[in-house]
Amino acid sequence: MFELLLRPFAAVGNLTLAGLGTMGRAWTLFSGAAASVRNTDIWTPHLVPQMARIGVASVPIALFIATFTGIVMSLQASYTLTGAIPLYFVGTLVGKTMILELGPVLTGLILAGRVGANISAELGTMRVTEQVDALETLAYDPLAYLVVPRVLAGVLMFPIVVLLAISIGILAGWFTALQLLEMSSSEFVKGLRLYFAPWDVWFAAIKSVSFGAVVTGSGCFYGLHTEGGAEGVGASTTRAVVVACMIIVCLDAFWAAVLL
Amino acid sequence: MERKREVMVGFVVVLGLAVAVVGSMWLRDGFNRGQTRLQTAATSVGALVPGALVKFRGVTVGRVESIAVLPSGEAVMVDMRIRPELVIPANAGVLLAPESMFGEWQAEILDRTEFGLPPFLDYPQEGVLPGAALPDFSRLTATFDQIARNLTTISDRVEVAFTEETALNLKGVIDNMSVVSDLLSEIIEQQSQRFETLADGVDESAQELGDAARAARLSFERFDSLLTGAGVEQMFADAGESLSNLRNITGDVGSTMTDLREAAQRVDATFERMETVLTALEDPEGSLGRLLGDPAFAEGALGALNEFRGLLADIQRNPGRYLRFSVFE
Amino acid sequence: MIRLVDVHKAFGAKQVLRGFSLDVRDGETSAIVGPSGVGKSVLLKHVAGLLRPDSGSVFVDSQSVPDLDIGELNRLRRRVGYVFQFAALFDSMTVARNVGMGLRRIPGWDGKRIAGRVEECLALVDLEGMGARYPSQLSGGQRKRAGLARAIAPSPKFLLYDEPTTGLDPVTTAVIDRLILRMSDELGVTALVVTHDMTSAYRVADRITLLHDGRARFTGTPSEIRAAGDRVLRGFVEGDPDLFFASGSDDEMTHEGGGYQNGA
Ligand SMILES: Nc1ncnc2c1ncn2[C@@H]1O[C@H](COP(=O)(O)OP(=O)(O)OP(=O)(O)O)[C@@H](O)[C@H]1O
Ligand SMILES: [Mg+2]
Repeated sequence: MFELLLRPFAAVGNLTLAGLGTMGRAWTLFSGAAASVRNTDIWTPHLVPQMARIGVASVPIALFIATFTGIVMSLQASYTLTGAIPLYFVGTLVGKTMILELGPVLTGLILAGRVGANISAELGTMRVTEQVDALETLAYDPLAYLVVPRVLAGVLMFPIVVLLAISIGILAGWFTALQLLEMSSSEFVKGLRLYFAPWDVWFAAIKSVSFGAVVTGSGCFYGLHTEGGAEGVGASTTRAVVVACMIIVCLDAFWAAVLL
Repeated sequence: MERKREVMVGFVVVLGLAVAVVGSMWLRDGFNRGQTRLQTAATSVGALVPGALVKFRGVTVGRVESIAVLPSGEAVMVDMRIRPELVIPANAGVLLAPESMFGEWQAEILDRTEFGLPPFLDYPQEGVLPGAALPDFSRLTATFDQIARNLTTISDRVEVAFTEETALNLKGVIDNMSVVSDLLSEIIEQQSQRFETLADGVDESAQELGDAARAARLSFERFDSLLTGAGVEQMFADAGESLSNLRNITGDVGSTMTDLREAAQRVDATFERMETVLTALEDPEGSLGRLLGDPAFAEGALGALNEFRGLLADIQRNPGRYLRFSVFE
Repeated sequence: MIRLVDVHKAFGAKQVLRGFSLDVRDGETSAIVGPSGVGKSVLLKHVAGLLRPDSGSVFVDSQSVPDLDIGELNRLRRRVGYVFQFAALFDSMTVARNVGMGLRRIPGWDGKRIAGRVEECLALVDLEGMGARYPSQLSGGQRKRAGLARAIAPSPKFLLYDEPTTGLDPVTTAVIDRLILRMSDELGVTALVVTHDMTSAYRVADRITLLHDGRARFTGTPSEIRAAGDRVLRGFVEGDPDLFFASGSDDEMTHEGGGYQNGA
């Protein structure tokens, strides 16, 4: 009876301890990685290949998503903006939402799937097949060798990919407005410029830098902490993606509250 | 292989940054980043916000940089950045006015000799242009909104019974109508000063529309007194006259600008229906009591009101079709 | 010199090492034998600094491994080669790059010198001309030999072999054993060989230690092992589960019976 009453507390306690443990391990990993940045001879040769893998290779999927987002935004905006609101607000809506929200966040979520899973599976496999240990025995700091180039590549390339996605999304929305909504180019552009502030672009860039760090960081963290064989790799990959998505959404709210 | 990858990464990075920088610049001011600073002072700035366009002879020449109330509280100082090569006319003033009916305001640099009203504020400081703000058009649209809502209530009621409450609603409509015509005539009066360079026909129409609005208001006031129980005959004569007057004018406007004809016809038809109702009211035997009991009248009133409501809704949907042509362009 | 003193290691509730001690003198080749899952790989990882003991000390070359900072550890690791049980080749790299990985960390080695040494090491393990392949294109045995080549490439002073011959055919096993002997004879390498292949252990080891129950159950030269009467050792060497698993309280007895514990 008494035991039954204590059980919920035990569960909460367990969860808290597990959470604190994860945070502690994450702190160890990332502070270690930060310290490893000085081992430039280890990570510099891998930065460009990782930028290609994480950034350049993500451009097609990001642009694909952005294109359709732009089209849908444009159509839905015109559907919503009836009555007293002039149609050129379609341009405003497409521009603002693409730059402030959908560009960075959708791209971030998609890349959490693509990049985060990829990193986590790769490092997880390396962990369970002892390749990470092998690196260490060959006097390579695994943090400098594996984590630093990936996180740096994410931080550098995410904003680039997001900025491209935003541009394509807006162009797609524009094209849709011209072809399907019988708006004129000048109308759309007028709406686009109406409330545009250059700060918006910085906001998008800052957000995507943080998303890049989160996606690659989560991939590295769960990858390196993989336990057990192929099944463990699968589990840590799932966790890396889920956690990255959750942090992205929270960070999104955080930046909106802090920066806007 | 290694080389190719480096080139790809470099290409994507440069492309992304270029798109962001060039896109931002283009969205900000279409590459015409203003350089010269220009200031104006006005008693009020209406709904002007930083970032609003600065125009000169209809061409965008810059943006509003900042807006601040002077410490003394007597005026608002507006800072603008405009193209450096622009030569400001000697007697220049800055008119702050809505760019369209939907909120965005602009600052227009113009020659004050071509534009008397409204009163410009001459701020005693070197380099500060006199400024003036137009009345806020959004008040007009808000009132339209109110009217449309009242009309909905009325026509709903009329379908059931023409009661005292209906009459009160009708009175509400008329009150609002008078607010609208007030605003309209005020705005038209001020705006009409700006259009001397435009086609005479349009200018004239704008004048006449203002007159008509005033006349309409007069008849609405009479209508109002009808509902509150005052005498009738002369009022209906007036109302009939002013309405046919209004109809003529809208016809004129229609003929000056062909693309507006359809809209004008719509206005026309509406007032025709309105007139039918008023004619019915003019019937010697007509009295409020009889009127309330007459289903034919109620039907007529309902039709007119519905049509009027439709018109108002259409004005709100496509304000440019009815108002912008004459008022702002 | 490799020395482990009273090393304890547990993973969660699972006690793997409980007071393991071992001495490997310079130039000596010592074999660790024991059944699967007893903690042989765990033991080897302690020597390489991949795992930290819960208690006890690990010395390599007179340095206390758990107390080294990362820089010192990396310097030590350049003198320690590790042959992983499942090769642990980097599968994103060619075999040649794998083998050259350790060499690339040595200051002053240029590409040409590295390539030369890589070819040399591949030849030592009978993998000439396989340098351009990827690990996934190799057989299990070839992979194992590539891992061996990677470990010996930087000419380390210490070599830790984790089951270098498991899964290899008898001839290749003999070749690898010869290689291990050559490393110690010609280069004076101090080696720790984990294996459960007794033939191999007899062939290469100066001394053999049986790891049992988290401790060194028995240590002796191959001839001492052959002569020893310890029940568990006999069970393991002869592959007799009845003898090996027989529950007995004769643990204490074995300490006197025959060999000696933990070097002498
Ligand atoms: N990182 C780890 N986390 C938890 N348990 C571990 C870990 N590494 C090893 N173990 C456990 O420690 C025990 C010893 O493992 P070890 O790999 O050393 O065995 P082994 O003697 O090398 O066996 P084999 O001959 O099969 O390679 C096993 O029960 C294993 O489950
Ligand atoms: Mg093992």
